[in-house]
Amino acid sequence: MRVFQILRGLFGRERADRDLDAELRAHLDLLTEEKFREGLPPVEARRAACIELGGLEQVKEDVRASRSSAWLDSFGRDVRFGARQLRRNPGFTAVAVATLALGIGATTAIFSVMESQLWTPLPYPDSEQLVDVHVRLVKNPRQWDVLTPNAFLVWRSEARSFTRMTAYNYPQARNLTAGGTSQRIRVMAVASNFFDTLEVPLARGQAFTQKEETYGAERVAIVSDSLWRNQFQSDPELIGKSILLDGEKYAVVGITPPQLRFEHLEEPDAFVPVTLDPAAAVAPRNTYAMGRLAPGISREQARAELALLLKRDPNTQSRLEEDTAAVSNLRETWTEWAARPLYFFAGAVALVLLIACVNTAGLLLARGLARRREFAVRSALGAGRAALARQSLVESLLLALGGGAAGVVLGLWLARSFSAFLPESAIPRHTAILLDWRILLFALAITFFTALLAGALPAIHSSRADLHQGMRQGEGGTLEQKRARASLVAVEVALGLLLLFGAGLFLSSFFYLRSAPRGFEAAGALTYRVALRGEPYAQPDAMRRYFERMAQEVGSLPGVRGVTYGSGLPLTGSESFFANVNVAGRPPAKPHGEAVILHSVAPNYFQELHIQLLAGRVFQPGDGAGAARVAILNANAAKELFGGENPIGKVLEFVSDPERGMAARDPVEIVGITHNAQEYGADEVPFDTVYLPFAQNPVAAAYVLAYSEIPRGTLFGAIRAAAYRLDKDQPVFDVKTMDDLIEDSLHGARINLVLVASLAMLAIALVSVGIFGTVAYFVQGRTREFGIRLALGAGPASIARNTLAQALGMGARGLGLGLLSALILGRLLQSQLYLVPHEHTGMLYGVSIDDPLMLAAAMGLMLAVLLLASYVPARRASRVDPLVALRHE
Amino acid sequence: MADKQTELLQGTLDMLILKSLGLGPLHGLGISRRIEQVTRGTFHVKPGSLFPALHRMEEEGWLSSHWGESENNRRAKYYQLTKTGRRQLESETERWGRISLAIARALEAS
Repeated sequence: MRVFQILRGLFGRERADRDLDAELRAHLDLLTEEKFREGLPPVEARRAACIELGGLEQVKEDVRASRSSAWLDSFGRDVRFGARQLRRNPGFTAVAVATLALGIGATTAIFSVMESQLWTPLPYPDSEQLVDVHVRLVKNPRQWDVLTPNAFLVWRSEARSFTRMTAYNYPQARNLTAGGTSQRIRVMAVASNFFDTLEVPLARGQAFTQKEETYGAERVAIVSDSLWRNQFQSDPELIGKSILLDGEKYAVVGITPPQLRFEHLEEPDAFVPVTLDPAAAVAPRNTYAMGRLAPGISREQARAELALLLKRDPNTQSRLEEDTAAVSNLRETWTEWAARPLYFFAGAVALVLLIACVNTAGLLLARGLARRREFAVRSALGAGRAALARQSLVESLLLALGGGAAGVVLGLWLARSFSAFLPESAIPRHTAILLDWRILLFALAITFFTALLAGALPAIHSSRADLHQGMRQGEGGTLEQKRARASLVAVEVALGLLLLFGAGLFLSSFFYLRSAPRGFEAAGALTYRVALRGEPYAQPDAMRRYFERMAQEVGSLPGVRGVTYGSGLPLTGSESFFANVNVAGRPPAKPHGEAVILHSVAPNYFQELHIQLLAGRVFQPGDGAGAARVAILNANAAKELFGGENPIGKVLEFVSDPERGMAARDPVEIVGITHNAQEYGADEVPFDTVYLPFAQNPVAAAYVLAYSEIPRGTLFGAIRAAAYRLDKDQPVFDVKTMDDLIEDSLHGARINLVLVASLAMLAIALVSVGIFGTVAYFVQGRTREFGIRLALGAGPASIARNTLAQALGMGARGLGLGLLSALILGRLLQSQLYLVPHEHTGMLYGVSIDDPLMLAAAMGLMLAVLLLASYVPARRASRVDPLVALRHE
Repeated sequence: MADKQTELLQGTLDMLILKSLGLGPLHGLGISRRIEQVTRGTFHVKPGSLFPALHRMEEEGWLSSHWGESENNRRAKYYQLTKTGRRQLESETERWGRISLAIARALEAS
């Protein structure tokens, strides 16, 4: 009913107005006739009737205002009027819309990235019920990915807080042999109820059985839909056939549905059963457990139950009595690491949006002053303050809507190119960024927020239009209005300074990272990996022989200057092996020993990588399988294990801990100390590394490194041929140069730098436009004054100086404000931005929030921008022609 | 005459208009004169209040309107009560009775 009335009010307005007019005229006629009959002459009667009616137009206006569509009516009028005003000033409109589009676009972009990466539920039914569960070692809470088969099996069979609990292994590369060729595919080991827990049933075949989770069970595999389509040509008979993984036969029992996506893990091509034999007591590395919470059970309730089971179980209690259970949302667990940088960038983007708002407010204010006469006239004609303020707000809303529409398009484009620009390892989830209602709603909210923020100050000012002042159209506006503009510039300068300072921190952090001593030198070297699989390499000696022969073959290729190999190279830390050690003949400092990184390396490893020897000797060819067991420590390990003592000649014992996946090893004698070489990058935690001779400690997967003058492609072709001659079933992969590895280690820092720097540049561009506009406006307002000064003999230079001084005055306040906020924000964010010792969470390296040099540089740059942006208007001021100026109104 | 006129209480105008239309359709001037007449000149409804009220009440659905001939063969817009309008009049009358009684009591008490 109401809606109908409003609609009729809107669309039948003209007819209703005509009707009203006729009604009132009829009323006037009736009134006149009445007066006439009372005895007044016709003219007098008409006059009396008009007086009694009290103004035809006013009555009409009162009636219109009483209609329920009145607000819509006046809103429509404001919109039409505003749009006309904006059309009449295309330059102003374009600048304002573009400014807001940049601000809203950047905000929408970061929001859509955060939405798709952090907040959208994982692509399984009811996926927010899925939780990650693990054992938390109280003594070492950072090491969270601990799962012992024992604890897991007890939990899985007894915990009532979960409808299902399952285990899986992070997808790992393995060799698939099919159709005569080998290729690397990603294989994920999963428990029998994995697909049931996800509630994603297989497309064909069936899941693994619990029996297949044990060692020695028949080898079975499930292949992904894409592998089935691409590698096996959608073979309908594939189930029951065998595929070769690492040279071993696996019977295919199932095929996943095409819609199965992991997003937060690398998409696996095939699945095999995870081995959860409690007798083996060794959980494979990177094994995780997840559960589906029973309806109505909170994470805390579930955690309490698991902790209780852990304490009660006789098998786990003996070893892990100090440990407890941890339960966390699966999505958050896997995306947490990306949340902090994203929130940080969202903050930086919010600053850019603020600058855009302030800029637009400044523009609107300037235009408000230019239109003072119009506002004064309207106010004289009876427009109320509220009406004037509303008119101003509607105009800023129109600008914001234009900016918002352009901003959504720009934002999506930015978000997509942003994700394309990032390497796969830098984004937590592989999802497409799509325009959905949440993004639209967000953009709309931001648009209204922007309109309000940018429009509030101008609206207040225009509603205060002083009739007298306005009609005179004096120069430059009132003192109050000038002050408002000057404070807007100060705010802009402050915000710009903040972003510049931030960009400066990231820039110097990047250069510190780049120039930090790496501890090795291998410019131009080519590296690749081989991971030996299959029956022929069951014996460690076969691995040793393979890599020795590989080094000989590649070393004898023409143009190759040197070859070495090892289980790990510098900057490949994520592939390292770990062990716990104690110094022999000394009470252990820690119950489980000191955790160290283990590298099995060739005798010439240190020479080829130019890792400096600090004491003792490097490995020699004589340190073979039959010789005395030896080891070399890096400087960190020597300091950590021995303090000031000389470690040479001391013996290290390995802690055997099958519960935590550490096999027993023979004790080793320390023969040398080397300089630290980076394991991950400059911003790493100092690692304790123990090097062992490859011959005494062969491993299946190793890196080979070769120096050569010949082009990379040719060299690699020759290497591939050599590898084929050695064993055609072992593919060569991960071909990179050491320089690639260095660049990779700087990748995260580079992305941060590029993002912050582009935001800072955007901010500087917006701020310069804002400063330029304000100073130009002030100059315009003082034209007559400048004319008089020039006429009285002032030099053009003094006029320009005067203008620049005014700009500097505004800027100085902004710089002060910016410096203060930078210091306060720096304090608040310090722990978030820094590399916190022993944690890989910092975003900055080697810089200080209080770095006076950086602050001075940012302020200097901001000052330069300020002077540059005010230079043009200042020059214009000094070239005023006194005659023209004096006539200037 | 102006001195004797009393400001209309908030909400009373609607009731007076409804009441004046109780006997049959009237045009704007007719309503105005009828109110003056029944209140013995206490209330004089100005067009600036009358017409907005009429249009608002028509929107509310209490009144309906049509064009007709006046007593002197002039065209005029006539308003009449709808069913809803009649119900509204009843409830307004009842409400007013309660209020005036209460006020009268309050004034007597002191």
